Amino acid sequence: MRRPLDLLSKGGLGCLLALVAFALGSTVDLAGDPDAIVGPRLAPPGPEWWMGTDNLGRSMLPRVMEGVGTTLLLSCTAVLLTAAVSAAFGILAGYRGGYLNEVVLRLVEVLYSFPAIVLAVLVAAVLGPGQFAALASIVLVTIPLMTRLVRAAAVGVSQRDYVTAAVISGARLPRILGRHVLPNVAGTIAVQGTYALSVGISVEGGLSFLGFGVQPPQASLGVLIRQGGSYMIAAPWLIIGPGTVLVVAILAINVFGDGLRDRLEPRETRSLT
Amino acid sequence: MRLALWWSGRALSSAATLLGVSILIFAAVRMMPGGFAETILGPFATPEQKAELAARYGLDQPVFMQYWHWLTAVAGGDLGTSMISREPVSLELLARLPVTAELTILSVAAAILLGVPLGVLTAVRARPDGGAAVGRLLSGLGVSVPEFVLGSLAVFLFSRYALGLSVGGYVPVTVDPAANLRSMVLPAAVLSIFAISATARTTRDAVLGVLVEPYVTAAVARGESPWFIITRHILRNAAAPVVTLTATITAYLLGGALVVEYVFNLPGIGSYVVQAVGRRDYAVVQAGVLLAAAVFIVMNVLVDLMVGTLDPRLGVTAKGRRA
Repeated sequence: MRRPLDLLSKGGLGCLLALVAFALGSTVDLAGDPDAIVGPRLAPPGPEWWMGTDNLGRSMLPRVMEGVGTTLLLSCTAVLLTAAVSAAFGILAGYRGGYLNEVVLRLVEVLYSFPAIVLAVLVAAVLGPGQFAALASIVLVTIPLMTRLVRAAAVGVSQRDYVTAAVISGARLPRILGRHVLPNVAGTIAVQGTYALSVGISVEGGLSFLGFGVQPPQASLGVLIRQGGSYMIAAPWLIIGPGTVLVVAILAINVFGDGLRDRLEPRETRSLT
Repeated sequence: MRLALWWSGRALSSAATLLGVSILIFAAVRMMPGGFAETILGPFATPEQKAELAARYGLDQPVFMQYWHWLTAVAGGDLGTSMISREPVSLELLARLPVTAELTILSVAAAILLGVPLGVLTAVRARPDGGAAVGRLLSGLGVSVPEFVLGSLAVFLFSRYALGLSVGGYVPVTVDPAANLRSMVLPAAVLSIFAISATARTTRDAVLGVLVEPYVTAAVARGESPWFIITRHILRNAAAPVVTLTATITAYLLGGALVVEYVFNLPGIGSYVVQAVGRRDYAVVQAGVLLAAAVFIVMNVLVDLMVGTLDPRLGVTAKGRRA
């Protein structure tokens, strides 16, 4: 049953780990201080600054490293929150059914009716632009699909004999949900978690690009691409560098997610992220 | 009879969702920072002025009444007044609707006209080795490139190297259709890359699912031509997931249009809403978000209707809700 991940997915995972290492490099200033002015303004990539310099003469390499770190940290935190909330409500609604199930489905349906970036903009308008708005946006954007799929999986699991056996032997609700249902919907949570991560990265990027997410001077991939846009004609490396890293990150996660899905849920149909 | 019953249930459920959406948006706008009175009157207003303003706009009434007034006004087509331009929001949105609609329709058309054939082609020719991985990587790339990255790159390439399509400088279709198309092709192309790739991927999955059905084997055995098999047997049976996807894609495109309009500086609804958030013009944000959600909900109902027509089996027993 446990098939190994195929080569492409392994490549995706490797790429992702490389990006994490790349981001961790910025915490020890491996490529220098991201805020230090090291050279002429808008210098093209060269031996001293591999990704060029920005409009203030800061080297882009450490800035992109910091940006990847911010983006990944924000998205991962948000996805963990989503996973916790979705797992709790999805499992409870799927197992219990009835009134609670209806309420959860209704709420999810309402959230699902907003296009991702539109919901993110609304959240930013309420909370004010900033990191917290980006975090909250990612959580709200990714919750509907994950809750829905976890609930569906939990409905199936709840009818299995081992759950009935646990109920008959007098197990309490937390034990049934925690020991019997949760481990058996964990695959769905993991697969949806990877997709949610790629959605999160793209939402953070889009929101910061519009100016409502992470705020400068802190770098995130979206912030870097927004800032690069003003100097794009003279210095295209300002958007090509962070843009490539962003696309590689999303692609790596998607490819890894596909592999994970093929392995953990062999018969699931593809869902649009 | 059962069908009618199912339909009324579907309509009711959508109405309930729309109501939930409106409550959420109303609550969100109430929570936005910067009081209405301060925004209108400035920081030096006296309490009397504020009270007078609150009474004029109904802000001294209970929240529930305010929501009710807003809801009935929206139902009557009154989306409020922009605090910046002092124009009715509905008129402003209507003036910008053609840009967003054109952008979205061009992209959906590209997704269907290019994505479906691509998906069928890759499915019919699928081999378990090399080529499949390349195809998977390419379509994966298509769904992984965010609009703002692709859009920024396109703006750079086309404005730096003058590749023939104009960047920015929107021309209304009523003024010069040819110039309008030239200014819209690039934004629409950027917006549609995701839609095309997603459609191709879904079509491929659906077709692969149908290919193993006995009636396809039977058709091959009867010696029917590949074209006939594809159009008559495969497409018809693989259509449901693709049509369903169209609704999801429309929602996605409405969001993407917001970013693309911003990147290409097009005077559409999306860029208007982005501007409004920056200016704290909440009536506009409220109306724009409500419009996007409403379009999505209506699209979903239409798609259910279409899927039911395409495949009568689904009509009654179908999952009334999207899975």
